Amino acid sequence: MNKVCVGASLSQNKPGMKKLIPFWQFALTTAAFFVYSDTVRCASADLELQAQLVWGTNNDKPDDPKLKDVDPKVREKLRGVFKWKNYFEVNRQSFTVTAAGPKKVKMSDLCQIEVQSLGNSSVELKLFGQGKMVVRKTQKIKAGELLVLAGDDKNDTAWFVVLSQVEK
Amino acid sequence: MITHETELKLQAFLDGEITAREAAVLKELLGHDPEARSLFEEMKSTRMLLVGNELDVKLSETREFYWSKIRRQIEVEDRRLSAPVARELMTSWWVRFLVPTALLTALVVLVVVSIRTREGSSPQWAWEEGHEIETPLEETSSFSFRSEAAAMTVVWVDSHHE
Repeated sequence: MNKVCVGASLSQNKPGMKKLIPFWQFALTTAAFFVYSDTVRCASADLELQAQLVWGTNNDKPDDPKLKDVDPKVREKLRGVFKWKNYFEVNRQSFTVTAAGPKKVKMSDLCQIEVQSLGNSSVELKLFGQGKMVVRKTQKIKAGELLVLAGDDKNDTAWFVVLSQVEK
Repeated sequence: MITHETELKLQAFLDGEITAREAAVLKELLGHDPEARSLFEEMKSTRMLLVGNELDVKLSETREFYWSKIRRQIEVEDRRLSAPVARELMTSWWVRFLVPTALLTALVVLVVVSIRTREGSSPQWAWEEGHEIETPLEETSSFSFRSEAAAMTVVWVDSHHE
């Protein structure tokens, strides 16, 4: 339909009022398309995410009931990149981020993240340690992909904040 | 010889459009004036002839609709007659240039507004590869790397205070 309208609008060098009407239709159609696509984009800006606070170590699992084994998929991915053999989940939070504003998620007493949807599957992830922003990262996060913020911890261990889309 | 005024009064009498007093005067005239009586009889026979043979036109639609059609036709004709003036105005080169330009400008503004922030600095739209990283604290630094095999992006935060 748009093709027809474009063709009609390009023939404006011919005199006559009738030539302007297809251009109006073309303009209105295009405007409606952008308004619609903006609406769709806003709707698609909603992301169901999952954040995991993970502790990596080469030692065996400590006697702490709060620690859980990390999901095997995540564990293998982490093992493929980092030197640690064992990864334990300290906390897991599922949440939805919308275009309305950022979402703050507490991962531990000292650690908090703030996630904001930027649309088009992009997010802005901020990591706060003891109330101060440590790092901010903007990243497109697709289904099945991981965005990992990580750092050294004491006794040759490491912490990881693993952000991913919730698998449906 | 009857006058034209008398002829008109006789016609009015025939149509029942005169007063009773005038009617009495005319009846008296018709009683003693053969010329007036002859004219009156002629008028009466002509009237009867017309009434008896009047064409009976029947409309296939209602009276209101019939006349509204005529009214619309007149309006269309009026518009058609005034259209050449409007067409002449619209075909002016600057109108043909300005109208599309104004529309395109409005369209561009609409597109820009639609992809801009809806709430303050919260952008609705991000570039495909618009990755950013920031570490505001002086005692920390970071670097980012990506493992395509693991479909994983890692930001390693390094603290220098140890």
